[in-house]
Amino acid sequence: MAQADLSSPARLQQAAVPAMTPLRRFLMRFNRLFDDARLLPVLLIAPVLIFFIVWNVIPTLWMIGLSFYRYQISIPDSLAFLGIDNYTDIIRDRAMWQGLSRTFIWVFFGVGIQTLLGMVLGFLFWGSKSMPGRRLALTLLFTPMIVTPVAAGLFFRLIYEPTFGILNWFTQSFFGQEVLLLQNPEVAFWAVLFVDIWMWTPFMILITLAALASVPKAEMEAAEIDRLSWFDRIRYIILPHGKYILMLGILLRTIDSFKTLDLVYLMAVPGSTTKLIAILLRESAFEALNVGWSSALAIILLLTAIAFTSIYLYILNLNSKAKAKEVAT
Amino acid sequence: MNRVSRRSSRLVVIALLVLTSLVLSVVPAMSQDAHPLAGQSIEMSILGIGGWLPSSLGAQMANDLFVGYAQENYGYNVSFTFTESPFESLFQRAAASLQTGSDEFNIIISDSQWLGALATPGWIVDIDGLIENGLPDLGIDPQPSLDLELFSDVARTTYQVFPDGSDEIWGLPQEGDVQVLFVRTDIVNNPDEMAAFEAANGFAIPSTFEEWEVLTMDQFELIAGFFTRPDQDLYGVAMQHSIVYDFYSMQLYPFMWSLGGQAWDPATRTMVGVLDTPVNAEAMEWNRRMLNYTPPGALSMGIGENVDAFTQGKVATSIQWAAVGLSMVTDENRDVVAIVPPPQFVREDGTTSRVYSMGGQPWVLNAFNPADKMRVAVDFLNWWYLPETQLEFAIRGGNPTVAATLNDPTFDDINPWNRAYKYMLQNDRAQDFWHEPNYAEMLALQQEAFTAFAAGEYNDALSVLNFVACEQQQILFDNGRTEVAPPDECEDAEPQ
Repeated sequence: MAQADLSSPARLQQAAVPAMTPLRRFLMRFNRLFDDARLLPVLLIAPVLIFFIVWNVIPTLWMIGLSFYRYQISIPDSLAFLGIDNYTDIIRDRAMWQGLSRTFIWVFFGVGIQTLLGMVLGFLFWGSKSMPGRRLALTLLFTPMIVTPVAAGLFFRLIYEPTFGILNWFTQSFFGQEVLLLQNPEVAFWAVLFVDIWMWTPFMILITLAALASVPKAEMEAAEIDRLSWFDRIRYIILPHGKYILMLGILLRTIDSFKTLDLVYLMAVPGSTTKLIAILLRESAFEALNVGWSSALAIILLLTAIAFTSIYLYILNLNSKAKAKEVAT
Repeated sequence: MNRVSRRSSRLVVIALLVLTSLVLSVVPAMSQDAHPLAGQSIEMSILGIGGWLPSSLGAQMANDLFVGYAQENYGYNVSFTFTESPFESLFQRAAASLQTGSDEFNIIISDSQWLGALATPGWIVDIDGLIENGLPDLGIDPQPSLDLELFSDVARTTYQVFPDGSDEIWGLPQEGDVQVLFVRTDIVNNPDEMAAFEAANGFAIPSTFEEWEVLTMDQFELIAGFFTRPDQDLYGVAMQHSIVYDFYSMQLYPFMWSLGGQAWDPATRTMVGVLDTPVNAEAMEWNRRMLNYTPPGALSMGIGENVDAFTQGKVATSIQWAAVGLSMVTDENRDVVAIVPPPQFVREDGTTSRVYSMGGQPWVLNAFNPADKMRVAVDFLNWWYLPETQLEFAIRGGNPTVAATLNDPTFDDINPWNRAYKYMLQNDRAQDFWHEPNYAEMLALQQEAFTAFAAGEYNDALSVLNFVACEQQQILFDNGRTEVAPPDECEDAEPQ
C-alpha cells in the first residue's frame, strides 16, 4: 500500500488551513451577504418586515375576509358568506352613527383642548428655564400620561363618586353643594373627557417642548435684538419651525383618541352618553362574540383612521411644498 | 362429640369473623387502588368570579378539604389554582379560552345566564349525559349521584337548565343566591323613630321577620322616605342601579315580576308585547322613583358600593344579595342588622306578590378536559354535594341549594341571612331570566336603555321597553333562536 507523502509542501499548506465545517461554511456565506450593498438594506429590514407581515398584514387580511361573513363564535355553524351585508348593516345602524358622532366630538374637543393647554403650558415651561424645581415639576406633570387608563378611570370614578368621593366631600364641605357628574347625562360626557384631557395634556406639553427645541437659537436671539413682540416671534419664528412636530403630536393624539375605550368603559356612565364607537366595537366583538360584524366595523374604523392620517400628511406635504417653493424663489 | 362440634363451629365463626374483617379492611384499599389516577399528581384550574366570596370559597374549600379527601379516598394528589375575572368579563375570559378548545380552565363557576352561551357551541359538558351515560370516551361511568335533589325547582331552572323551559341540564349549583332586605335595626327600630313614623304614617315599622314579611313596597317606600335625610347623610335604601353587567336589570325585574309583568315568553321566545307592557312601564317608573331614597350617585351603585353604604351606616336598609351576607354583616354591626324578606307588591287586582331576582352561580365542566382532569372534576363535584361538604360550605358563609342541607334543622341558625335566603329560594318568590346564547348582547342593550331612563336621558318608560323588546326580538330572530320576527312597528321604535 503506497504511503502518502505527508511532508510535501502542498500538503503542509492544506494542513495550515483549519478544516471547513458545514456551520463555518454557512456562516462565511451568510457574512458575505452583508457585503452586498443591494442586499444589506433588505436583510436589515427583513426582521421588522416579517414581524409586520405576521402580526399586522395577515391579521388585517384575515379580518377583511371575516368582515364578509356572518360568524358568531357562540352560535355553532353560524359561518356564512354575506358579501357586503355586514357593511350595509353597519351603515344603516343608528347606534353606529350615534357612537361615531360622539367619538368625533370626543376627538375634536379632547385633542383641541389638550393641544391648546399643552402649548400654553409648554411655552410657560420653556420660558421658565431658571425656575427652581423645574425638572421635578416637569416630571410630576408627566405623571398622568404614564398612568394606565384603567387606573385613571378607577381613580376618577372614585373621586367623582358622590357618596364616598373626595370631590363631593370638598364641594359639600366648602360650598354646601352636591355634585353629580357621572350620573347626570348632561355633564357625564364632559366629566369623562376631562379625565382624558388630564391624562394627555402632558403629552402635548412634551410635544410643544420638542417643537420649541427645534427653533434655531440664532433666530430667537435675532428676534430679541429686533425687539419682536412675543406674538410675532410665535407667528414668524416658532410656529414655522415647530409646526411639523406639533402636527405630528396632534396626529398621534387624534388616532389614539379615536380609539378610546378603557377609560370610558371603566367610568361606567349610565345610559349611552359616553358610548364611543370603540365601546360599540367591544360590545359586538367581546360580548356578543359577533366576529363578522365586528370585523366589518373595525375595517370601517381603520379606514377612518387612515383618512385622518392622510389628511394630516396632505397638510404637512402642502406646507413642505410651500416652503420648498419659498426657498426656490 | 358435642364438645368437638361446638368447638369446631366456634372456630368456624371466628374464622368467618376474621375473614369478614379482612375483607372489609381490604375493600377500601382495593377501591383506592382501583381508582385509575391513584398515585398520580393532577393540577386543576378553576375560573371564578373575581372579588366574589362564594366563588373564592369554592376554590378555597377545594384546596383545604378536597385535596385531603382525594388523597384518602382515591389515592391521588391534586391541587387547584383559582383564576378570577370580574362579573362583567368572566364570560369573555372563559369564551376566549374555550373557543380554542383549551383546557386552561377545567372547572368554571359561570353565571347562570351564561349556560346557553357556553352550552350551545359545545364548550361545556352535558350534565344530563354525564349522569345517565357517563363519559364513555374518557372512561367515566354514569354519575347518578349528581342527579341532585335541590331545595326548589327555581334553583334547578336557574343553575342547571338550558334551553329555558326544557329539562336539559348543563350546570350544577355552586352558590345559591336571592335578594333579601338588610335592615339596620339601630336606625329603623329606634323607639323614638318608630313612634314618630307611626304618628306620621299610621302604621308601625316592622321589627320582626314576620312583620317584615307582610310589608308592602308602598309601605316600604314610606319607610325609605322617612329615613332619607341628606342633611344627616342618611338615606332610606341602597339598591343597585349601575350600568355594569346585570346590576340594573336585577333590581328592576323584581318590580316587573311582582307587579305581574314578564321579561319574555320563554316558550316562543317572544319579547315584543311581553316586555313592553303598561305594567312593566309602571314598574320602571317605580324603580326610578326609588332613586329618591338612595344615596347620591346611586346610578353608579353596584354590589360593592351597596355594601359600603350599608356598613358605613349611610342607609337604613339595603336590598342586596344574600351571597354578600359576610360583607354586609360585620363585627361592628352584627348586633344591629336584621335580614328579612324584601317587600311584597300589591297588584292591581289587590293580590300581593313578591318575585325577586335569582343570583348565584353554577359549576360547569370544560368539555375539552383530558380524561384525568375530567375524572378529578367529576370526583370533585361528587365530593362537593356530600352533606358534610355542603354543611361546611354554609358554615363558611356560602349558600347551598341541596334540599337535605337546607332542610337540616340547624341550617337557619348557621348564618343570619339563612332564614331569609331559604324563604326567598322558592318557586313563587324568585325567578331568573333568559339563558340565551345571545345573553351578553341582549343584556348590554337593556342595561344601556334602562340606565338611560333612570338617568333621565329618556322619560317615556313604555317607549324604552318597546325599543328594548324590538331590538332583543331582532337579535333572537337573527340568530335563529325564535320564529317570531319583530313586527313592522319595530322599525319606528325609538326610546324617548
